[in-house]
Parts: sequence; C-alpha cells; structure tokens
Amino acid sequence: MSWQWFHRLGSPRWFYQTSTRWLPLLALIAAAVLITGLVWGLAVAPEDAKQGNSFRIIYIHVPASFLALAGYYIMAIAGAVGLIWKMKLSFMVMKSAAPIGAALTFIALFTGAIWGKPTWGTYWVWDARITSMLILLFLYLGVMALQYAYHSGDAASKAGAILALVGTVNIPIIYKSVDWWYTLHQPATIKFTSAPSMHIDMFLPLLVMIVGFYLFYAVALILHTRSEILRRERKTAWVRELVEPRAGV
Amino acid sequence: MPQSTNSGFSAWLKRDLLLAYRRRGEAASPLIFFVMVSTLIPLVLTPEPTRLAMVAAGLIWIMALLATLLSVEGLFASDYQDGSLEQLLISPQLLPMPLLGKITAHWLTTGLPLTLASPLLGLMLSLPTSGYLPMLCSLALGTACFSLTGAVGAALTVSLRKGGLLLSLLVMPLYMPVIIFGTATISYAIDGLNWLPPLAVLGALFAASVALCPLAVAGALRVTSAH
Amino acid sequence: MDGHGIYVWLAVSVSLVVLAWLVVAPLLSRRALLKDIARDILRERARQSTATHNQGEI
Repeated sequence: MSWQWFHRLGSPRWFYQTSTRWLPLLALIAAAVLITGLVWGLAVAPEDAKQGNSFRIIYIHVPASFLALAGYYIMAIAGAVGLIWKMKLSFMVMKSAAPIGAALTFIALFTGAIWGKPTWGTYWVWDARITSMLILLFLYLGVMALQYAYHSGDAASKAGAILALVGTVNIPIIYKSVDWWYTLHQPATIKFTSAPSMHIDMFLPLLVMIVGFYLFYAVALILHTRSEILRRERKTAWVRELVEPRAGV
Repeated sequence: MPQSTNSGFSAWLKRDLLLAYRRRGEAASPLIFFVMVSTLIPLVLTPEPTRLAMVAAGLIWIMALLATLLSVEGLFASDYQDGSLEQLLISPQLLPMPLLGKITAHWLTTGLPLTLASPLLGLMLSLPTSGYLPMLCSLALGTACFSLTGAVGAALTVSLRKGGLLLSLLVMPLYMPVIIFGTATISYAIDGLNWLPPLAVLGALFAASVALCPLAVAGALRVTSAH
Repeated sequence: MDGHGIYVWLAVSVSLVVLAWLVVAPLLSRRALLKDIARDILRERARQSTATHNQGEI
C-alpha cells in the first residue's frame, strides 16, 4: 500500500499537473533568495583584506560547483531509479539533469578562471579541483552525447543511465588520483575556497547563494522535465487535452 | 545439468584469437601506430636525449592509450554485424565469462604486444635504464585496464554508426587514474624511489576492473544491441 | 572597485546569462511543442473528415 505513492510519483502526467500548480511559487522563492544573496554578496558584504573585491566571485563560483557535483549524482540516481523500477519519468529527469549540470560546471570553471587572474595572475592552474571539474564537464557531455546518438527511446535512456552510473563510481577515484599526482608535483597547493576561515559576514551571503542555487536547480530541472514529458507523451490523450483549447475547435 | 562457468571464457577466448589471427594485418595496426608515432616525437619535441628522457614515460603511456582507443571499437563491432553478439546474449551461459574471454583476447592481441614493444620505444625515447622493468609491469596491468574499461565504452556504443569518436570521449575520463599511476610507477623508479606502491594501486585498479567491467559490459550490451 | 570590479562583473554577467538561458530554453521549447501538437491534431482532424467525406461519397 505504501508503494502506491511511489508509483504515482512515477506518472509523467501527475508530475506535469502538479508542477503546473507549484512551479510559479517555487520560482518566486528561488528568485527572491538568489536576488537577496547576490545583492548581499556583491554589494553589502565587506571587502576582502587580501583579494579586494574579486573574491566576490565565490558567491557564484562556490554554489555553482556544489550544484555541478550534486547535479551529477541527481542525474545518476535518476538513471538508477529508471533502470531498477523501469520508471519513464525518472529517465526524463535524468535526461533533463544533464544539460543543467553541464551548464553549471561551465559556470564553475569560467568563474574560477576569471577569479584566478587577479588573484593568482593566471586564468588556468592545473590542480585537482579544477581538473576534476573539467572531467566532470566531459562526463556530463558524454551522457548527453550518448543519449543524443541513440535519438529518443529506451536504448538512449538506459545506455545513458549506465554511463552515468559508471561515471559516479569513477568520480572519487579520478579526483583522488589527480589530487595525488598534483600534490606530488606542486607542493604549494592553492586552495580555492577557505570557507572555514571566512568571516561570518562573508560566509552568510554564501550560504544564501547556495540555497538559492539549489532552488534554482529545482526550478530548471522541473522546467526541462516538463518539456521532455510533452515531447515523449505527445500522442497521449491527456497531453492532447492540454492543447485542445488552443487548437480552436 | 549446469554448465561450468569456465566453458564460456575459453571458448570465446580461442574464437576471438582465431579471428584476430585471420585478420592479423588489421590486428597489428595499433602496434604499428604505437611505434610509428613514437618516431614523430623527436621531430616535434626535441631529439636531445636528456630532454626526451624527462617526458619519455608519459609519452609512452599516452601512445599506449591512443593505440588502445583505436582498437577497442572493434571489440564488438563485427560480432554485432554478423549476429553472433545476439546469439551470445540469448545463450544460456552466464554473460560475464564469455565477455571476459573476448576482452582477454583483445588484450592479448593489443595490450600485450604494446607492452612487449615498449622497450624498443624506451630505447628510442632515451628512457633511463631504471625505468624499463617498471614500464613493462605497469603497461601490462594498465593496458589490461584499458581493454576492460574500453569494453564498457564499446558496449555502450556498439549499435551506433559513428560510435568510435563518441567511445573515445566516453572512456577517456575512466582511463585517467590508470595513466596517472602507470606513469607514476615509471617516474618513481627513475627518481630512485620505491615504485611498488603506485604499481600496487594499478593492481588494485586492475582487480576492480576485472570484477566490475564484465558486469557493466553485459548490462550495456543487453540494452544497446537490442536497439 | 579598485580595478577588480571588471572581473566580478564579467563573471557575474556571463553566469547570469547562462542561468537565464537554462530557464528560458525549456519555456520556449514547451511553447513550440504545444503549438506543434496543436498542428498535429488539426492535421489528423482534417484527414479524418476527408476520409469520412470520401466514404460518404462511395
């Protein structure tokens, strides 16, 4: 009996109709939190003693990095759920999570590079974090490319899910190996965030931005999944009913 | 009467070795690529022995990786086209063992020749003498990992027409830990350090790959070759 | 902003553009899909009516 809600959760139609109701509110909250965090971090928080104002980039760089990594696990879990319970909706979520995660990884890399220039004099540094983030981007692109190559359908989703899971196992291994290699060769490791040693006035807006980014991710994921639902379920009766009034009988 | 789990392994191992032998020209191309590209290195970097020695270990590993990538696409391609892959999938045998046989055959015809040819490359790229044994050990384990993980990529792209490039994109991140510890094994030896620890990590990667990759390959083939 | 301001604004603006695109793209595709499905329905209805029309004639 308790599995009923779980399987109802797997219905694309239920997801579409429920999200139609709740998305506007969620989007509003996400926007409010993000704007608060941005204004707080970019304008109100005090200047850093050593880095001047360029440290403010962390208010985008850090949340984007968190979400880039978390997003990959969300994508992999969605793939696993789809494989195990054969849930179409889960595969749709997985497919939607890929471009969002890739975009966030790009933002993390881009903002990291921009931050690097005034702070350490160079746009690119080979260290474990940056390299692993770059690999993460490749992993995302791989999942996207594989699904695209199979066009739509079962094989695309399942192959993508398997690849996402293989990547999940490898991410910690890759990070650890790269970290080990670079600490061998560059004893002076550069730390990109010093969150624990950050002053509370600088840390609070960062927390707000992290929450804001999570909310944003949820909004983006729901939006993409809705489109995917329409794409895959276009022949069904309930989708046609959605459109019916517009067709101008 | 239950079949022994070994029956799939040796049968497919012998089959693939025989097929490779029949097309031995084709099967030799990764090796030829490996040796030929190494003659280009002094032309683009420097012919100076001391400077070559600094990069020799890494270069040999990169070329081994590229040579393997070239060949791993063919692991399931011809079987997919002539229908024997489908036959394998519906046969009553446990799938991982025959697949392990195929992958072993692939390593015997690609990775092992590369490993055995590597001292020649070491000579051409001025690899210090202390690096030769570590190079052989690490390449033997590493190319086996390449075959195993490459098979996962090959299985995921088997039914695609231009799957080769996508395959390379997919497996490249998976190859990274292998080349890191493979190169480290040789570098440690050249610097006079104990080179067994990185080799041990490589061994662990190999063990994990042997255990997990056949399962992943089996799962992927069931999904993609029905396409 | 002691010359570092440009870096901050560059990073922020590019990021905001990407984030905005992540939200706008699915909205646009949804609209396009709904229009496309509407066209499908019209086409099918047209086909059906000509079919019954032709049947009536026979």
